[in-house]
Parts: sequence; C-alpha cells; structure tokens
Amino acid sequence: MASRRRMLLKVIILGDSGVGKTSLMNQYVNRKFSNQYKATIGADFLTKEVQFEDRLFTLQIWDTAGQERFQSLGVAFYRGADCCVLVYDVNVMKSFDNLNNWREEFLIQASPSDPENFPFVVLGNKIDVDSGNSRVVSEKKARAWCASKGNIPYFETSAKEGFNVDAAFQCIAKNALKNEPEEEL
Amino acid sequence: MGSDLDSSTSSDDPIHESPNSTSIDQSLDAIEDQLASIALTQPNGVAADDESSEQEVFKDTPNGLPLDEDSNQQESKGGEIGEEGFGNSVPEPSSVEFEVVEEVRESSSSGVFAWRRTNSELEVERQESPSSSGYAGERGSSSSTSVSEIEEVGEDQICEVGKDDSVDGGSDWVPGKRHLDEDDASVSWRKRKKHFFILSNSGKPIYSRYGDEHKLAGFSATLQAIISFVENGGDRVKLIRAGKHQVIFLVKGPIYLVCISCTEEPYESLRGQLELVYGQMIVILTKSVNRCFEKNSKFDMTPLLGGTDVVFSSLIHSFSWNPATFLHAYTCLPLAYATRQAAGAILQDVADSGVLFAILMCKHKVISLVGAQKASLHPDDMLLLSNFVMSSESFRTSESFSPICLPRYNPMAFLYAYVHYLDVDTYLMLLTTSSDAFFHLKDCRIRIEMVLLKSNVLSEVQKSMLDGGMRVEDLPVDPSPRSGYSSAHLGQPRLATDSPERFREAFVGIGGPAGLWNFIYRSIYLDQYVSSEFSSPISSSRQQKRLYRAYQKLYASMHEEGVGPHKTQFRRDENYVLLCWVTQDFELYAAFDPLADKALAIKTCNRVCQWVKDVENEIFLLGASPFSW
Repeated sequence: MASRRRMLLKVIILGDSGVGKTSLMNQYVNRKFSNQYKATIGADFLTKEVQFEDRLFTLQIWDTAGQERFQSLGVAFYRGADCCVLVYDVNVMKSFDNLNNWREEFLIQASPSDPENFPFVVLGNKIDVDSGNSRVVSEKKARAWCASKGNIPYFETSAKEGFNVDAAFQCIAKNALKNEPEEEL
Repeated sequence: MGSDLDSSTSSDDPIHESPNSTSIDQSLDAIEDQLASIALTQPNGVAADDESSEQEVFKDTPNGLPLDEDSNQQESKGGEIGEEGFGNSVPEPSSVEFEVVEEVRESSSSGVFAWRRTNSELEVERQESPSSSGYAGERGSSSSTSVSEIEEVGEDQICEVGKDDSVDGGSDWVPGKRHLDEDDASVSWRKRKKHFFILSNSGKPIYSRYGDEHKLAGFSATLQAIISFVENGGDRVKLIRAGKHQVIFLVKGPIYLVCISCTEEPYESLRGQLELVYGQMIVILTKSVNRCFEKNSKFDMTPLLGGTDVVFSSLIHSFSWNPATFLHAYTCLPLAYATRQAAGAILQDVADSGVLFAILMCKHKVISLVGAQKASLHPDDMLLLSNFVMSSESFRTSESFSPICLPRYNPMAFLYAYVHYLDVDTYLMLLTTSSDAFFHLKDCRIRIEMVLLKSNVLSEVQKSMLDGGMRVEDLPVDPSPRSGYSSAHLGQPRLATDSPERFREAFVGIGGPAGLWNFIYRSIYLDQYVSSEFSSPISSSRQQKRLYRAYQKLYASMHEEGVGPHKTQFRRDENYVLLCWVTQDFELYAAFDPLADKALAIKTCNRVCQWVKDVENEIFLLGASPFSW
C-alpha cells in the first residue's frame, strides 16, 4: 500500500523448455548467466523494479516451466497477468513454431477481457550461439509472425551476453502503461 | 449467577439460589480422585514432560466422571507434544505434495491439550535458501537487523518487571508500517514471529505486515501458487506446518489471506485473526470489491486501500492485547448505572430520528450504544469499527463523515459513519444508511454533546479512566449481600484507596487473594466481557501478551468443534494456574500464581463471579433492547 501510486505488473514468461527463459530472467534481474541447464520446476517467481517515464513499476515475473508435465497450473498461473512474454530459441525451429500454441494457450487460460490487444512481447533468444551460424529462424520470419498477431513487439536477445534484455523489459512496462485500467468501486 | 463452583462437598455456606444451579463440586472431587490415581498409574505421563504441567479436562458427562482411560492416554500424548511440535499434527490424506493438514493437532482427541511452553530465549532460525525464487540474487536489500531490534523475538523470555511497564495494552505501540526496507530475503524479515499477508487470486500483493508489498511480489506469487495448486486438485489448503511455523490460509473469493506464525497459537485462533483482517478490509471497501476482480482479473486493489495499512497493523497489534479479538465480545467502561443510563437515553433519542446505530466509546471500551429497532451490532463489527476509527489519525482532528461497511451487518453495502471525538479518548459514532445525513448527524452530535456535558457523563468517563476497572486486589473477601450493597467504585469501599499503603503492600508481587493474578468474565447473553486490570506480577506488556495467548488457547480448547462442551478446565504449568469455567450464562477465565492452591483457586473463582454479579450494573451495558443484543 504505497502512498504514491506504483504499478505492479504480473509478467508471465512462456516458451518451450530450454529456450532460455530462466536465463533471461537471471540476466535481467541478477545480471548473471550460467551455461548450466537446470530445468525449472513448476514456476519461479521474482521481482524487479523498473522506472519508466517517471513511474515506478514492480515486475512480478512468473518464470514458468516449459515442460508439458508442469502445465497443469494453467488458469491459476495465468490469472490476472498484465503481460505475456513468449520466448523461442532462434536456433530451434520447433520452439518458434510452438509460439502460436503458447500464445493461444495463454489466451484460453487467462481469458483476458480484450484478447486482441493483450500485450505480448516476443523474444528470439540465443542469437550469440555459434556466432549466429546455427541460426534457423530469421529475424524477418519472426517479425512477420509478430506483425500478423497484432504487431507484437519483437526483440532479439542473448541472455548470455545480456544483449537487448533491458530494452525488452522496458517495452513490457511501456505496454502496461498503455493498458492501465482505472477502477472504481 | 445461579450456579456455583465449589471445591468442598461439605460446604457450609452455599445456598443455591436457583433450582437450575449446576453445582459441580461432586465432579470436582471425583476429578481429584481420578487425578490421584492417574498420577499413581502413569508416573511418566506428566513427568516425561519436563514442564510439569498438570491438566484436567472433563466433559460434562451425565455421571460427571471423566474417562480415566482416555485421559491417561492423552496425558502421555500430551507429554510428547512438548518434545516435538510436528509429531502430533493430524495430516489428512492428500494428493498434494506438501502436507495439507486439515485440522490442528489437538482437535483429534477429546480436547486434552498440552501447552508447549518453551522458555526459549530467542528464536533463531536461519533459513538456508536466500530467496523464495531460487535465484541467489542480490535483490534483497538485506538490512540485517540486529536481533535486539526485532519485535517479538524472545517474547517467551521472562522479562524483569519494570523493564517495560506499560499496563495499558497498546499504549506504547506506535502505529504505522515498520521495516519497509525488508523483503523475503532479509534475515530480519524471516525471523519475525508473525506475518500477515493479503493478496489477490492472481498473486498480486495487497498487504503485508512487514516489508514492502512490492518487494514481496515474488513471495506473494509463491503463496498464490501454493493455494492455486491445491485448488486445482479440487482441494483446499488450510494449514501447512513447517517445523515451528504454521502457515494458515484463508480464501475469500478473489482475496487470499495468509498468516505465517511461530507463536504456537492454535490454528483456530490464527484463522479467527485472518477472518478479522478480512473483515477489516470489508469495513474499508465492502465485499463489492469482488466485482472488480470479476470484471478485471488484473485488478490491483492497493490503490483503493491506500493509506490504510495503519488500520491493519493496529488490528494485528490488538491480537496480542485485546481479548475482544478472540472472545467475540465487547467490553464496557465501568460507570455508575445512572451515568450509563443518561448516556443511553440521549443516544436512544437520536436513534429514533433515523440513526441506525449510535455508539459512544472511550478507547476500545463502550460507554453506551443504541441501535434502531431490530438492528443488531455484532461485537466483531464493533471491534473492527473502533479499530478503524482509533487508528486513523484524521478522525481525531475534525468531525468526519466516512463510508464504512459492517461486515456482519451487511458486507455488500456501505453505511455512513459520522465520527466526532468529544475528548481525547472519547468518541461518538453515528451510523446511517443515508449518504447525505451529515448535517442531521452533526445536529444530533451537538445535542448529544450538550446532554453529556450537562449530566456530567464526560467527566464521569474521565474519572473512570483514571480509576480503572476491577482489580484482583479488591476482590471482596466475603461476598456482600446483594441488597445492602453500596459502593464508591466497583463494590469497593473507598478503604482501598483511602489507606492504600498497608492494604496494597501486602499484595505487591503476589496479585490478589489466593494468588489470583487476573481474570476475564464473559457474559454470554450480553456479548460483553470484563477483565480485571493488570497488576503486578503481570505488569509488562510482554507478560500480558503471554497471558492473553494462554487465555486464547484456553478459549480455543473450550470452544473446539466436535468436543465438549467442557465445563471446567484447570491447568498448572510453570507460568500460571489457569482455571476456566463455562456455563450457559458466562465464561470465566482466571490466572493464578503457579503455586496456587486448587481448592482455594476454585473458591476464589466463585467469589469473582459473585463480585461481577454484584457490580454488573456498573461494568456491563444492561437493559438494551432484548431483540437486538
């Protein structure tokens, strides 16, 4: 209960397992990167404060597990999300193809009031791998898909290098500000 | 009272005044015999528990005899409880990965309780994992508060008399949010003995007793995940035990409430406290806040509650000093019958002019209250309302007209409260359904204030504040005959204050007669209670809190579902002798010196009841409409 109005944003991170969701979070929140892969169990939660246009935002980040066996939480996890971040690995075509499923799954489970305009952000991660030589999803292709889904903002990131991660999350805050609801009893 | 608690069967005096008197002297004697045999046959039962607690609980069985087999077993079971807090929980089968305990540990048996009272100096429980998220991040601002600064740490410590001598509960308490720099990664935060959280069903924090809500967003999300995970399985999580900690959950539609406590309070008590915290939220917003969540699951409630965390923190603080929070009864300021009548008359006057409730209070004590026909005010609503008014500084400075909701009266609708302080502690609350009644209520207040001044009610109130309430030292030695009773203050001839030195000195450090330290008497019909003033040796606020916690456990054990009704309970540990006596008309809770003689203690309780009866005109609000109260 702050006297000055701060905004709390619930941000859900979705994407196939191994695309680097947890690494992105760790880079963003803690400025750390580890090459070791540790599967997320269920979900992890963390908090990050960001400033945008003189307003203070608290991002409550729900880092979910990509494995299907952890998807049972559905509604409960997605309820009341302010933003959904879809992550894929630019080196794995399947993880890009699945973006559509993740998006639709989210819209079904969260059932936001205005699904057409619900703020998504798409991140193409691991652009550093093999200096980009193993890349299979082109930026053009990704941007085309984002454009077709109502101009979803798109960022190419490297959790390892810390590239573009901050910019992506600034965008999340910006989107949320646009959609700020005003409620009265 | 109509009933009599007596330790001797060959009683000389008791003349039972009504035919329905429930004398239990027979059973008490029987109990004593039983206990003697228990002690013989089961030497380890008590001795195993190095806290040497002596306990008896007996149901009001037709023959008045307790079941000795059972009590034997439970006695020894009780011995185990002291050793290990976890071992006696009663886990229900559950598909959930974490342990979902449906009931608290004590409730399975016939209500024989073992009080676990460790004299632990400090609770130092270092948690290994630095954050709930699993990220060993640096986000925790980790202001490692030193142990000495931490509230509640070491509350079980017996502290020297005179260290903090506040007698009036809560007077040394400074309202407001503390420890805003803390979050779940802070060692100090993790050491706090009792946390309260309110969050939305999307996991967004609404209120936290300690720390900054936004910094605790990750923790809040974890709580929601636990609750939702169990809900997903078609189940409901009520309690999780983790070592010394209990995590209590309360789901109220889209609002989740959680208490994390290592205070060893019973589950029922903590759950009741969560209910009150929720009620306090309803007082401020009404239940129609649920609609906001239905319309928009992203809904953030914190702006609507802006500036009210002092109301919540003050309520939570009252859990440790205000017995109304677990007795579900209110207490009155002691006043001469005629004085209270005069106040009631003028309140009734305005109530007839379209005021729903007119309440005159002094701090948390009622002077008088009146309701419109058939409108009844629940004691919990009074508690929440007076907490709201007293904790909000703005009410003190000017006359106010504020929308408020009484959750037990109508949780969906706002009423409007006209609040005005008549002096520094005394305030008038006029409640109405009409949002444009301000000027009418202002006129009412002016009339009321005039009458109160003219009839000296306000000065009597101040005098009563100074005089205090019932003191155990003043317990009449011989209950005076009811008719020939005339007193200056609560049945005491002025002698006590006229020659205080000799009289009082005899009791310094030992309380009242027979080692009586304190009592609470709750009248069932009146929804009111009276408690004796704290005096030596229960003088520090820490000792008072500990005694209230003991009463609270006693209350929970006597009101447990599925067992009882227990009529009496007598227990002795190294801190007190506690005696509880429940009848159809009243409940008496009394604390004695741990070395007090049992027969004398029982006799003393009878005298307390008689004393309360003798002065009931002054300590209770009587004669209110029987339909309402």
